[in-house]
Amino acid sequence: MSARAGKVDAGRARHRVSKTELTGGDRILRVVSGVASAIPMAILGVIAVVIFITALPSIIFSGLSFFTGSVFNFGNLYATTTITHNGVQAPPHAVYGVLPLIIGTLSTSIIALVLAVPISVGGVLMLSEIIPRRIADSMAVFLELLAGIPSVVFGLWGVAVFGPFLSAHVFPALTAIGHVIPFFNGPVGEGQGLLTASLVLAVMIIPIVASTTRELLRRVPILAKEGALALGMTRYETVRVVTIPYIRTGIVAASLLGWARALGETIAVLLIIGDIYSIPSNAYGNTSTIAAWIASTLDGAFGDTTGSGIHALAELGLLLLAISLVTNFAGRLVVRKVSGGVLPVGRGV
Amino acid sequence: MRTGLMGGIALLGTLAVVACGGTSTPAATNSGTPKPAATGNPTTAVTLSESGSSLLLPFLQELVAPITAAYPNITLAPSGGGSGKGITDAIAGNSLLGGTDAYLSPAQFSANPSIANIPVAVSAQGVWFSLPGITSLKLSGDVLAQIYSGTITKWNDPAIAALNSGVTLPATTIIPLVRQGTSGDTFLFTSFLSATNSTWSSGPGFGTSVPWPKVAGEGSAASNPGMVAACKTGCIAYIGVSASAAAQSAGLGQAMIENKSGNFLTPTPTTIAAAVTAGAASIPSNLALSLIYEGGAQSYPIVNFEYLVVNTTQSSSDDALAIRTFFEWTIDPNGGSTAAFLAKENFVGLQASVPASVLSAIQAKIGSITG
Repeated sequence: MSARAGKVDAGRARHRVSKTELTGGDRILRVVSGVASAIPMAILGVIAVVIFITALPSIIFSGLSFFTGSVFNFGNLYATTTITHNGVQAPPHAVYGVLPLIIGTLSTSIIALVLAVPISVGGVLMLSEIIPRRIADSMAVFLELLAGIPSVVFGLWGVAVFGPFLSAHVFPALTAIGHVIPFFNGPVGEGQGLLTASLVLAVMIIPIVASTTRELLRRVPILAKEGALALGMTRYETVRVVTIPYIRTGIVAASLLGWARALGETIAVLLIIGDIYSIPSNAYGNTSTIAAWIASTLDGAFGDTTGSGIHALAELGLLLLAISLVTNFAGRLVVRKVSGGVLPVGRGV
Repeated sequence: MRTGLMGGIALLGTLAVVACGGTSTPAATNSGTPKPAATGNPTTAVTLSESGSSLLLPFLQELVAPITAAYPNITLAPSGGGSGKGITDAIAGNSLLGGTDAYLSPAQFSANPSIANIPVAVSAQGVWFSLPGITSLKLSGDVLAQIYSGTITKWNDPAIAALNSGVTLPATTIIPLVRQGTSGDTFLFTSFLSATNSTWSSGPGFGTSVPWPKVAGEGSAASNPGMVAACKTGCIAYIGVSASAAAQSAGLGQAMIENKSGNFLTPTPTTIAAAVTAGAASIPSNLALSLIYEGGAQSYPIVNFEYLVVNTTQSSSDDALAIRTFFEWTIDPNGGSTAAFLAKENFVGLQASVPASVLSAIQAKIGSITG
């Protein structure tokens, strides 16, 4: 480790030049690239700090009950008095407990991920291993196009077409599972709710997971695959023994990209989840997510002159940011663990 | 021409007093003849930017062409965004006018002394249901509160049956619909529930978004037309009168709601105007007035003013003149409040319903806009 670090330092030292040797172009490049490299970090830092400062009164006001409570109420905004709790002012009856939103956010995104990853990986394997190259390439174009559809269009499609279709034809059939898992019992509702949102999210993250996986598959060395075939392996065995182990780490990374998208998706979810503040009693029930709730109640929070409502929404934003960062870092950890040090090709032969 | 217009306003104001009959006695002693604010076409072009209430938006959009036709230097530029945004934008100066279904809170008034909310029209809210074969149903605020609390769950509940003798009610589950996110309609509906049911008043209370009690099978929608679309067999929904025609053509039935005098009514221009006449007999100087559950035999119980929020201290005299002119013209039955403009949203004109004292309070407020 230290030897490697030393080598890097030596490499840099070799490139170190005295200032007089720099041309005008070099100086401009240094400044521009220096500033550009600092900007992303600075933006993340500033956003995190600003949201934290805005959320701080709410953190003090609600304490841990923010995460464990199930009632979210801006309080009586027309009261002539305010209440003070832990030294923070708020309208009477103001309560901020976001447990239903945490459950809604995690459940929709995880269901979406569980559905999208097998479909994406299976579909892309089909494209790269089985379908002739020429047809596969033109089919892949549609995958990229799917990734470019604005989320509001997905939401609109969910409300107008997909949701009603699900509630009329798919959900009634799903209630059969209710005998085993009571969560799938009716009523199936009108096509909005937890499961519809999860399914639309799945459709939205398929192109993300699939196009990343497709790039990974391109990097699987052809020699290893040819070797496996030469050993007499079938196509299935080649995929299982050579291709999948080689891209396994990448699939985890691709799934995390998809998960991050699902966690933060706002407008499509807002349009189709029903946006009711409750933990749904079955898979088809209306609920909400952190992102959707911030968007739909911001207007109401403006009416709170104590600022307490805005602080609570800022804490929700901070929570979403934290969830995204935690999943991201957890993913990186998984990637590092799974990939190990050894070249995965041929493992298990 | 302008004098003629103003004369018309004064005349109609007088007619309104006559039409209101005995109830307007305190008005006469209060302030006398309504006096329109000074108006006219500003010397420079002024664009009146507006944001806010989505319920008020279609009405304002209709006024865009006619206000410029009447006053060439005034351009009205309305946009939506919700009542909360309308109030915030008008206070911050992001827009000159902010539309809202709910009046400003005491805290907002005290934090912003130069901000006023001025009524421009009267709206109301209907309660609709979908039950095959039943076109007419009587409901009270108390029963509605119990439905939305989940204590009444079946259509044939004794409490509903008691109000509807002779109607065969099905033994099916009631599906209550609520509005998603924050909504002026939720504010009106929960104000009505709070006024008629003490458990509701001390529980969920009222506001643009309230902690709805959990009711099995409950549904939700994002707008008034969305409520109409989401209301399927067994449902009950509160829908602003602007979407009444849509609800009618979707085959929904409108419930007759019990008012304070025990009469069951639907919102019509007559019952809405009666509620305004009763509720607006005296109006606070800041014009913030609830018209929920007013007295009077013919008063529909869920009625509200549609407000525009405005800063009474403008940066230029031309802006102030344009704003005063717009307000006076908008509430004028020969200007923006013609039957044709109001009918599309099922709004009721302000001058046709408020007593003279209230009209003069409103016009005094309009006149206080200076720059």
